[in-house]
Amino acid sequence: MKQYAYFPGCSLEKMGLSYHMSAMETTQRLGVELHELEDWNCCGATAYFHVNGDLALALNARNLAMAEKQNLDVVCPCSGCYKNMSSVRAELQADVHAAGRINSALEADNLHFTGKSAVRHLVEVLVEDVGLDEIKSRMTHPLAGMKIAAYYGCQMVRPKKDSEDVEQPTFFEELMATTGADPIDFPLRLRCCGGSLIISSRQPALSLVHDLLQNAVDHGATVIATACPMCQINLECYQRQVNEVFGTKFSVPVLYFTQLMGLAMGVAPKRLGIGSEFVSPKPVLAFCDRPSAA
Amino acid sequence: MSERVGVYICHCGSNIAGTVDVEAVAKWAGEKLAPRGVVVARDYKFMCSSLGQELVEKDIHELGLTRVVVAACSPHLHEKTFRGACARAGLNPYLCELVSVREQDSWVHTDRQAATQKAMALISGAVERVVHDAPLEPLHVPINPATLIVGGGIAGISAALEIADSGTRVYLVEREPSIGGHMAQFDKTFPTLDCSACILTPKMFDAGNHPNITLLTWSEVEKVDGYVGNFTVTVRKKARYVNTASCTGCGICWEKCPKKVADTVFEAGLGNRKAVYRPFAQAVPKYPVIDAENCTYFKTGKCKACQLFCPTEPNSIDFTQKDEILELKVGNILLATGFDLFDAKRIPQYGYGRLPNVFTSLEFERLCNAAGPTEGKIVLRDRKTVPQSVAIIHCVGSRDENYNRYCSAICCMQSLKFAHIVQERTEAEVYNFYIDIRAAAKDYEEFYDRILEEGGHFIRGKVAEITDAARFPGEEGKLIVQVEDTLIGKQRRIPVDMVVLSAGLEPRHDAKEVGKRFGISCSVNGWFTERHPKLDPVATMTEGIFIAGCAQGPKDIPATVVQGAAAAARIMGRIQQKEIALEPIRATIDEARCSGCRICNSLCPFNAITFHEDRAVSEVNPALCQGCGTCVAACPAGAISGTGFSNDQVLAQLEGILLRNVDGHKVAVAEPVAA
Amino acid sequence: MATTLGFSQEVSNLMSATRGNPIRTCIQCGTCSGSCPVAPFMDHGPRRLIAMVNADLEDEVLASNTYWYCASCYQCTVRCPQGIDIAEVMYALDRYSLKKNRYKKGLVGPGFSETFVNIVHGTGRSYEPLLAPSYIFSYGPKGFFGEVQTAMGLMLKGRIPLLPSRVKRLQGFRRMFSRAGSDGGAS
Repeated sequence: MKQYAYFPGCSLEKMGLSYHMSAMETTQRLGVELHELEDWNCCGATAYFHVNGDLALALNARNLAMAEKQNLDVVCPCSGCYKNMSSVRAELQADVHAAGRINSALEADNLHFTGKSAVRHLVEVLVEDVGLDEIKSRMTHPLAGMKIAAYYGCQMVRPKKDSEDVEQPTFFEELMATTGADPIDFPLRLRCCGGSLIISSRQPALSLVHDLLQNAVDHGATVIATACPMCQINLECYQRQVNEVFGTKFSVPVLYFTQLMGLAMGVAPKRLGIGSEFVSPKPVLAFCDRPSAA
Repeated sequence: MSERVGVYICHCGSNIAGTVDVEAVAKWAGEKLAPRGVVVARDYKFMCSSLGQELVEKDIHELGLTRVVVAACSPHLHEKTFRGACARAGLNPYLCELVSVREQDSWVHTDRQAATQKAMALISGAVERVVHDAPLEPLHVPINPATLIVGGGIAGISAALEIADSGTRVYLVEREPSIGGHMAQFDKTFPTLDCSACILTPKMFDAGNHPNITLLTWSEVEKVDGYVGNFTVTVRKKARYVNTASCTGCGICWEKCPKKVADTVFEAGLGNRKAVYRPFAQAVPKYPVIDAENCTYFKTGKCKACQLFCPTEPNSIDFTQKDEILELKVGNILLATGFDLFDAKRIPQYGYGRLPNVFTSLEFERLCNAAGPTEGKIVLRDRKTVPQSVAIIHCVGSRDENYNRYCSAICCMQSLKFAHIVQERTEAEVYNFYIDIRAAAKDYEEFYDRILEEGGHFIRGKVAEITDAARFPGEEGKLIVQVEDTLIGKQRRIPVDMVVLSAGLEPRHDAKEVGKRFGISCSVNGWFTERHPKLDPVATMTEGIFIAGCAQGPKDIPATVVQGAAAAARIMGRIQQKEIALEPIRATIDEARCSGCRICNSLCPFNAITFHEDRAVSEVNPALCQGCGTCVAACPAGAISGTGFSNDQVLAQLEGILLRNVDGHKVAVAEPVAA
Repeated sequence: MATTLGFSQEVSNLMSATRGNPIRTCIQCGTCSGSCPVAPFMDHGPRRLIAMVNADLEDEVLASNTYWYCASCYQCTVRCPQGIDIAEVMYALDRYSLKKNRYKKGLVGPGFSETFVNIVHGTGRSYEPLLAPSYIFSYGPKGFFGEVQTAMGLMLKGRIPLLPSRVKRLQGFRRMFSRAGSDGGAS
């Protein structure tokens, strides 16, 4: 059993609850033990970085320091939280002065940061620590024939600077392939969904969402698989607005990758939080055979 | 102290005097170091001037100086100058010590008082040391008049012809079956638009037929022993499996050969050759080689079509041929091994290797070349479609922290040349995407002007990505170049049919190993290191080894030819002198103290230490030794001493720097050990 | 005696010290603006904005929508041949803009971000319902109703929290914060 400190992040509490549910269902079946980080606080999203650098550092350092106390690495299902915590960890390890300032603030909450706890994305943990072969062996209900557009988004992959992999990663498609479905060629898979711009700069964000939906449809996607609640919400909950503005007729299911994995593992849709979408997931469920549980 | 020391401190204008109180230092040296042997201490504005040097010479004559200390700039610059002055005045030049109070003092400190104190300490150290200096004579070694040139590209060929024309022997070793290098692959050369082969092949022919040039193609240097003037080089002449005595170069063998192989070297992967092949029509020598790794006979024992159809008597195909090991004795070596092209696959967002109609510069040269795989027609990968729009991307893999920091020097001009050729041969729209246009050499700016006049779009912007994912009308089925047109400040998506990547130049993939084999080093970017970047670009820190051409750094053909000629001139000068004087600063091993542990053997960066099995002792070859001191430090028995850096000298200098020698402090130096 | 810092120096000071090379090393190649998915919507692309910062054109820079439109996708940062962290430059400009309370009229970002920070300050977690007022009125009447419709839909699907959640050790959390923010926001 591999153990980790689980950092759900604010979105998974309600907006992205189905991500949390399906993450629990799948990790339990894969030998991954996720212990929710006690008393975790918000990672600051992008807003904190817009307002004050040190506050953003402190916010994330508190979470990291608490994980250190438990001697566990942190797993983030949300790409935004993942990016914030891993880059803050890197920054504090590289900048002795910043670490000094932040640690003196953390003292007020009896915490101390050293950087001992690594920060992992849920996708990373499944691919690297569990392994694709092991995952494939658990897929008792393969989603044969389903076309998945594996959407990486931005912050799961960037700003790490490993030029060659950053521009052409394949791990997310490989993970989706374990479900028995076909990950399709999805050229815009690394392009931004707009993130919080859906609120603060509506027009550009809707244009980005439109481009992604169009690209997925053009390449025959049954469903878009996401690894971040912001991406999921932008791509799914705003399809109506996109259709209004661009005159399109999109109705593309957008699910969390853990929901798709869960279906392939034979987990009942309800347990995976399926049913709370704006866009009906019927096209996806049509690929689910329900033989007797293996 | 029976020595008479003269101390001279230079102002160097304000370079030294601006921070160090040179007059005070001279006065101090004259007073405080008098008990240590200083009989005169002067300061002067520019010691290196003839007047400054004459000061030293005069004092040697009139005051009977036996030792000289000059506190000035780095010894790299003027050690030779002052040693020369001493020699002219009849004093052994190795009894002169240089102290750097500029690079090591005035140029690195701002505190005037501290800097002045430091200058005093440094001079005091030199005074203590110089009395332990012994008069030395430079080593004279004879120069073997033969020369080895490694690399048969335009640099190597140019140098070989110059040296051979002067009457001495040249061995030209080339790893490919023919000489010619990258220049043989090009179509046209900028800025004259000369056909590359037309200007190269006459030189290739001359090199192949020169009575003084021994051409060793399909060969590699395996080992280098010896030292300047006396190198012994082991060359492996790989088996061609072709008998060059009878082969006429008629070409029937490769015509009949059934095995096609992708030609990744000469055709840049764009075309094929056979298992038995001659790299190109004008190859020198004309004899083909058999690529044993791909030859059906060598792999399965069947075929032998080449032998079957060979018309010569006796048959020129000889499968039993073996590699030949040659031992060449040469006096000087020139490395002119050229460059490799940056691997554009490393930039995934440019699509090379994934999108078929993205080409590298070398691939495009082969496309343009009339003897190339498309006979000079500019067509897409399908070998049929003529592009209606071509994008030429500058700075691929160069000027980029993510790949290579440096500028590859030739890509801008090459890109302009490509633009011209496309316009000349097709009706296509041409787009050049650049950050800056670097057209610095003779006639280059005029060439740029000409290309501008010929039409074609110049968009200033480093390309962000090349994709086939259409998003707007007009993009379907095209390659889209996404870039910011920085001069108008707009992000643009430009659909084209074909993309040419002006990929950067990189050192050969094995440059480091090759350098090590010859005893020279590579820079942080992997190019061979020259002795001085401004004033000595063709020599290296190893005497007798020279470099020329792109092996030293990216450059165009004119600069390459110049460097080849410069290296040739140096070598010819050495040959003419018949012998060379080497610095006597060397390590020597005291045989009596050597235990034969051989720790020093592998540490020597110049392979200068040999082990004598019979006597179980090591010996330093004084001609190869550069006096780096590594072995001196490493020897656990203290059996190695460095001439010019003995324990006495170094410890005395330390005492001097610590000022333990002034004001009656006793100098504590170990008693000199019997040498 | 304090020397007044130029605008570009102030912006540099607000950037994290470990992230990337200084802004002044920009060679204006345009890779950032060429890669940016939002650039077509910005007043100035990131490249030009950086040139303006280096030229100390404080007023023009602050008056643009560019840095508030940045989506933090980091495509610019990973490709920049000079190794500048351009997304971090945008963050620095946001911070400067809020510090001076100067930004383009009509932008939603400043108010939204400040509201977000205040909410998290108070409870340690974010809470969508309280965020809504900071933006919902800026989309015009049609947009407003559209947003209400979306919100209702989310609520019916159980995706909007009814009550805010909070960290338990709130006092310690708040103490940590007042210490962390005390130097006025310089990173």
